[in-house]
Amino acid sequence: MIRIERRHETPGWLVYAVPFISIAVSLLFVGLLLLTVGVNPVDAYMTMFSRSFGSKFGLTELFVKTAPIILTGLAVAIPLRAGLWNIGAEGQLYMGAFAASFIALYVSLPPPLVLPAMAFAASFMGLVWASLPGVLKAKFELNEIISTLLLNYVAIYWVDYLVYGPMRGKEVYNFPYSDIFPDFAILPRFFGTRFHAGVFIAIAIAVLLYYVVRKTGFGFAVKVVGANPKAAEYAGINRKKIIVYTMLIGGAVAGLAGMIEVGGIHMRLRSGLSPGYGYAGIPVALLAKGNPLAVILSAFLFGFLYVGGSALQTTYSIPVSIVYVFQALIVLFIIGGEFFTKYTIRRG
Amino acid sequence: MDFIASLIAASIRAGTPLLFATLGEIITERSGVLNLGLEGIMITGAMTGFAVSLLTGNPWLGVLAAGLAGMAMASIHAFFSITLKADQSVTGLMLVLLGIGLTGFLGRNYIGQVAEYIQPVNIPYLSELPFVGEAFFSHDPLVYAAMLLVPLTWFFLFRTRHGMEIIAVGESPEAADTLGISVEKLRYASVLIGGFLVGIAGAHLSLAYAKLWTDGMTAGRGWICLALVIFSGWMPQRAILGAYLFGGLDVLSFKLQAAGVGVSYHLLKMIPYVVTILVLLFSVMRKKEKFGAPSALGKPYIREQRY
Repeated sequence: MIRIERRHETPGWLVYAVPFISIAVSLLFVGLLLLTVGVNPVDAYMTMFSRSFGSKFGLTELFVKTAPIILTGLAVAIPLRAGLWNIGAEGQLYMGAFAASFIALYVSLPPPLVLPAMAFAASFMGLVWASLPGVLKAKFELNEIISTLLLNYVAIYWVDYLVYGPMRGKEVYNFPYSDIFPDFAILPRFFGTRFHAGVFIAIAIAVLLYYVVRKTGFGFAVKVVGANPKAAEYAGINRKKIIVYTMLIGGAVAGLAGMIEVGGIHMRLRSGLSPGYGYAGIPVALLAKGNPLAVILSAFLFGFLYVGGSALQTTYSIPVSIVYVFQALIVLFIIGGEFFTKYTIRRG
Repeated sequence: MDFIASLIAASIRAGTPLLFATLGEIITERSGVLNLGLEGIMITGAMTGFAVSLLTGNPWLGVLAAGLAGMAMASIHAFFSITLKADQSVTGLMLVLLGIGLTGFLGRNYIGQVAEYIQPVNIPYLSELPFVGEAFFSHDPLVYAAMLLVPLTWFFLFRTRHGMEIIAVGESPEAADTLGISVEKLRYASVLIGGFLVGIAGAHLSLAYAKLWTDGMTAGRGWICLALVIFSGWMPQRAILGAYLFGGLDVLSFKLQAAGVGVSYHLLKMIPYVVTILVLLFSVMRKKEKFGAPSALGKPYIREQRY
């Protein structure tokens, strides 16, 4: 008979090895998948690498794609620390993009105030959008996974409605786009590439949130609620408040991701403005185990998958959805690996 | 009258995939396993069903393949959540990503193709009745199958030994274990049966309802079904009500659009999701019902170690 036993101690190397082994095994599986459509996986991976790291353009694109994923990763990671799943980062991003675009196009402010106002409006709108599932969870124990997810669809259709209807640009012909933002509503760019100020904003927010969760009483309370809701109650921590607050932070951060996308990349509100960055936040937060600084690193991995994924699309016309397969496999293998950090298998 | 009859008929057709998936998830959740991966399993079923029908020319082989594909996806969830005792939310969510990713990758060549689809069958005599004939008795066979499945699921869960054991495992795995019921085996079986039905839900979508394959065609129906399970209070007979109601909502947004109602197409598309949230809210507000969620739902069962 085979018996499964809980480990008393986990070997240190195993904890760090699991993510790397998972990534390697995922590469192997996706490689097999690529073989089925007649693409040599080694060539494909070389293409992904050279396109991401081989040029100034590739490298800056890597940062540009990573920035929103850092923010959506944080949007998942902070509630996750309290034991909550925010699967609504995608919708919160869209609502943030909508609020930022609204300020950029319709509110007249002194030009230097426009970008801060856009950032504020976007965070606030994301926060409002996340407050619904947060409050419903706190008050009625409504499953936040389902509610945040359904709200994604509502947000995406809302932006579609706007760019096909009231916010449709005057000179965009048949495209579902708004007008282009005025210059002062566009984030500064550097190095003659798309590398924009949003990259710094994303990293700064991650550092800030690291400080909040590690060094403040609030951060501690979140951790206790996440680790043991019963103990939190005995310690006099209001679990419901923590639920709502962490969701609000998550929503605000995801909303900001919407702002840096419209203000830094698209320069307008448009249909389909995120290629699933909100969903990428889920594996990113999991890989980082909820640690905001580790989110930066794991977001880079997923930024690489997006840049590499579009390289595969242009070179081999492989659909970008292969990126989703990668994401899912990495997480599944990590979970599988974690089993071995917690348990050991014995004969006897 | 004809308009209402055709509206009912269309609602039933649109609600059938929801019904299959909701019944499947009820069986799964009754055993205490939460499978959030419906969206990914359904789309895998939709693509597999379509592909097999296209390649073999037989839509029924497509339906069977879709069920098996759903089962294969569900087995991933079963392995991780039952054997490895992993967080059920995470695995379920990853099934969604996996399903959407794989079907986008493998299904790209099927977009725009025409496959043999499932023909409607008029039930002799009954379909000739005025009104009810059109509304209830001129559907494709999968619609009737879903209807029949409702009492069958009820009977299975509440009147057979295996069904009641599944419920016991979902309520109190410890107690069931002490009675010598194999928690793991029953959970595996429930997740696989559930996956089979969700796969069929996808096949109905691509082979009978839409009669085509497009990327991401399930469009959130899997998530709506998860809400419908809560709405139904984990009871099959209430699932049929919820599924047809939401089918009606789907149809209504089409009909309103066709009738040239001056509301944007995109706002109409929002309706099912908004209503789902409201219904969910309503369902959880009147808690303390006789039949609520299985007590052990979402919790991995780890038998205590005895030294």
